[in-house]
Amino acid sequence: MNRLKAFAYFEPAALKEAVEILTRNNGGAFLLAGGTDLLVRMKRGVIRPAVLVNLKRIRDLNGIQGDQESGTRIGALTPIADIENAAVVHQNHPVLAQAAGVLGAPPLRNLATLGGNIGRASPASDMAPSLMVLQARVAVAGTSGQREVEIDGIFKGPGSTILAAGEIMTAFIIPAMTPHTGAAYLKMGRRSGGGDCALAGVAALLTLESGEVGKVRIALSSVGPTTLRARKAEAVLLSGALTDERMQQAARAAADEATPITDMRCSASYRKEIIKVLTYRALQEAARKARGGMTT
Amino acid sequence: MKITVDIIVNGELCREEVEVQTTLLEFLRGTLHLTGTKEGCGLGDCGTCIVLLDGKPVNSCLVLAADAHGREVTTIEGLAEDGRLHPVQQSFIDNGAVQCGFCTPAMILTAKALLENKPDPGEGEIKQALGGILCRCGSYRKILKSVQAAAKEAR
Repeated sequence: MNRLKAFAYFEPAALKEAVEILTRNNGGAFLLAGGTDLLVRMKRGVIRPAVLVNLKRIRDLNGIQGDQESGTRIGALTPIADIENAAVVHQNHPVLAQAAGVLGAPPLRNLATLGGNIGRASPASDMAPSLMVLQARVAVAGTSGQREVEIDGIFKGPGSTILAAGEIMTAFIIPAMTPHTGAAYLKMGRRSGGGDCALAGVAALLTLESGEVGKVRIALSSVGPTTLRARKAEAVLLSGALTDERMQQAARAAADEATPITDMRCSASYRKEIIKVLTYRALQEAARKARGGMTT
Repeated sequence: MKITVDIIVNGELCREEVEVQTTLLEFLRGTLHLTGTKEGCGLGDCGTCIVLLDGKPVNSCLVLAADAHGREVTTIEGLAEDGRLHPVQQSFIDNGAVQCGFCTPAMILTAKALLENKPDPGEGEIKQALGGILCRCGSYRKILKSVQAAAKEAR
């Protein structure tokens, strides 16, 4: 059976204390949020942290606040299930609830957190594509105080972010949406209705201005070393009328710029095919929502 | 490294000293000898170790006992009251939903949590809620029927 090896364990009550422990251990300390990824990798022997820092005793890291004008702030320790079910998320950023609803299985969503999902920097993250198309910012605390970074540039490679060793993600800030904006996150896994790691996933956001495409953002999961923006596909759609033909053209462009690998889950060529199909469907769904007057 | 935890298990406060790397699953089975909770994969894939943590289903193999400090845990042993089985337990028996029984505690606890939130769930909602638990006997149809029957009974 899989057993955890011994480690030193801390439950800091303040963020400053957590930053100090991280800095003192110089890369040997790992942050524990939901544990659904960290503990699995520890049991499998992929990582062997000398120190675990449990963040759950720190106040104010868990919770969702927001309104239609100022946007939404989601604490890094907020469980995925809370995002899936929060009325404020359904009202202001339904694409995030849609993504949360297909991440892993329901009992895992009760444990897994948004900060853990993004901090893990997995290219298969189900939350990163939606946060990217929504242009979320990440609040980060470190030895030199607080700063905010764009989520778009936060991933360096699989499992790696631009954060320094002593830094901790504390919250995700999602700007309020402009009118006539729609967004969707679609994912293909082996089990229907989520539950499984994404073979590939697509988030798309469209803002329509007098029937033409004002803004478009597309982000892809599981088809590169990090979550990717499909900028060529966006360029196909930007300015001009939103026609079915151009959406199909954008879907082909997204498949072209995806750089998937072949692994035990599926082949690279199949992943490209999924991206083409899901991009087209996500754009259709985003357009439908944008025309319906809904915000994302 | 050891740590003292206070965990309310099935309504009773348990104070124990555990190694920090002890999972909630190991705590329940090894320390408290509550072996109704099963260990399957130990990696969060199969769902057989599900217990209710503050009323919500979670995979106990992926929770540190230290992290459950100050919280409430319900296991399958905590469902019966005064010798009377919980309606979901009774429904699983009445509908023959138990074959080898390994996934049954997780299925029943998850169904109980679902019915408390949604007394009248649709078939899709039940399937979605139980989607994190694998039954290798393939008793899914009868499990689904048991949950539907328990919901109907409660109405």
